[in-house]
Amino acid sequence: MPLLDIKNVKKEYRKGDKSVTALSGVNLAIDKGEFLSIVGPSGSGKSTLLNIVGCLDTPTSGSVLYNGRELGGLSEQQLSDYRRDNIAFIFQSYNLIPVLTVRENVELPLVIERKYSKSEMAQKALAVIESVGLGGMADRLPRELSGGQEQRVAIARALVKDPLVVLADEPTANLDSATAEDVITIMQTMNSKRVTTFVFSTHDLRMERHAKRIVTLRDGAIEKDERRQ
Amino acid sequence: MGMILKIALRNIIRHKRRTILSAITIAFGLMVFIAMDSVLSGIDRISIDNMITLSTGALKIQTVAYDKEKNTFPLSYTLDSSLAQLTASLAGDRRVRHVTRRTQFIGQLSNYTETVPVVGTVIDPSTDSLVFGLAPYVKGAFFGPESGREIIIGRQLALDLGVGVGDNITLYALTRYDSRNADVFRIVGVIGTADPSINHSGVFLTFAAANDFLDLDNGVTELDVAMARQSSLPRFAREVQDVQKSVQTQFPQLRVNSFLDIGANVMELTKAKRMSGMVIMGIILVIAVVGIFNTVFMSVYERIREIGVLRAHGMKPRDINALFLLEGVATGALGSVIGLALGCLINVYLVSTGIPMDKAVGSIAEASYGITGNVYGQWNVSAMIVVFVLGIAIATIAGIIPSRRASKIQVTEALRFN
Repeated sequence: MPLLDIKNVKKEYRKGDKSVTALSGVNLAIDKGEFLSIVGPSGSGKSTLLNIVGCLDTPTSGSVLYNGRELGGLSEQQLSDYRRDNIAFIFQSYNLIPVLTVRENVELPLVIERKYSKSEMAQKALAVIESVGLGGMADRLPRELSGGQEQRVAIARALVKDPLVVLADEPTANLDSATAEDVITIMQTMNSKRVTTFVFSTHDLRMERHAKRIVTLRDGAIEKDERRQ
Repeated sequence: MGMILKIALRNIIRHKRRTILSAITIAFGLMVFIAMDSVLSGIDRISIDNMITLSTGALKIQTVAYDKEKNTFPLSYTLDSSLAQLTASLAGDRRVRHVTRRTQFIGQLSNYTETVPVVGTVIDPSTDSLVFGLAPYVKGAFFGPESGREIIIGRQLALDLGVGVGDNITLYALTRYDSRNADVFRIVGVIGTADPSINHSGVFLTFAAANDFLDLDNGVTELDVAMARQSSLPRFAREVQDVQKSVQTQFPQLRVNSFLDIGANVMELTKAKRMSGMVIMGIILVIAVVGIFNTVFMSVYERIREIGVLRAHGMKPRDINALFLLEGVATGALGSVIGLALGCLINVYLVSTGIPMDKAVGSIAEASYGITGNVYGQWNVSAMIVVFVLGIAIATIAGIIPSRRASKIQVTEALRFN
């Protein structure tokens, strides 16, 4: 059974009086531990697909199954719980909370999860901060970091709760080549070490090169789905 | 909750200028509220104190029959039969400071060309000043123990009749036995008080002079009681009412009225003044609400992406709501603390130095408020507590709509927001 099973998912938006089709019947099964890249031109539906997989958005029709459980029809509260327990996000523009330090930003998903004591949270956060190469920067604020460092913090924040799936929307788009390589390496390491499933949308050929599977979207439909060794 | 509080407080510190502006709005509202309440309480207190010291005393005791016809100032319903027992009873009550006897009558004052209706008060010069405070307002001389045919008249009355201290004036009145009498009195003093009725139509005689003029035979129509002034008006009123009840129970044939009963219209006016003050305060508080509303809305607008991130990580809408609400509450609390501190500082000045009312509003103060000289503020701790809590409550209420709005933003829209 795939970890995520997307069945005939359609998504339409209203834009004024017009209806715009973002996804037109997408079928995609994602297994545990995949390092999957969704590529395609702007407007092909990459972000929409990620949002639906991440339960940030709901499909107009079709279904999304997580470990065989249908996610359609869940309430807003249940969707929040689903995201909290299973999914982590990495955003193109990092989206760190500016008033929180690196450690506090990384602890945030654990605080929302409400499973750990303060000391456990701090311990977990410091360990993952160390693993993304930011040891010694735990007490800095986001404004004191470079773009690459901020994205590392965002990765640490995504990984701290050991999610089954990490969804990343253009994670290297704002980074220079060297930093982007670093970030990709960190994500690959986490993928192989922790068997965390990574699904990322990208325009970045460097990222595509490292992907084990590349799904190409065009006009809201899957054009190509290729696996690499 | 700890993380929510941390984010809320740090955002407040991060956006210092906006926080300070909103806090100042609330603080200004509170400060003005406290200062206005203090001055209004001070004005009320002066009005009431003036009423007590110039006309009502703490308690006024008359016969039931007199009370029914008091508007005609009848001389026939005297306290004579109960006077000794009543005086002894009051002397035994430790809450009672002093007692004096008075008799009021109506008459006319004439300078031979003009005649003006007056309300006369017969007083006992040896005890009247212990209960009432007329002497300081008299230009000329107050009655001495040996006063004969002497009269003190109201300031406006003297002006209307073109007379002054040392002049003679004719007083007409009905005696106790309803026969008309007229006599000439020498003006020893002209009285100008904060009570316009005294200034316009008040004349004062001693019992020595009135016994002859009104066939009074020491007849007393009222006994006036002074009690120790207390800084808290409600406490003073309660004590006066306790004595009133006790005397009334002992002497059911008499009518015991407190300053609250006699000055009911003054008390009503006090309430009306309070209401108008409340309206002004309400307007100020509305401005404060708008300030906080604007701050929280700005905060929501600036942090829409942050809301998206928090929601993406599984934070529930109610926690997002709490986050922004806390920012409003904390800003309100900050403003309330500053406002309370500033209000207290201003009040120290108002209580110790006061506002010269004559300079501030001129003769209106005397005519409409019964106030002359300085108005001193009053410490009203309960009002301060209420307004402090109100400041925080207002900030909470003002934060509700934008916070709810923040919690309802779609995650995808929030994350796309630039």
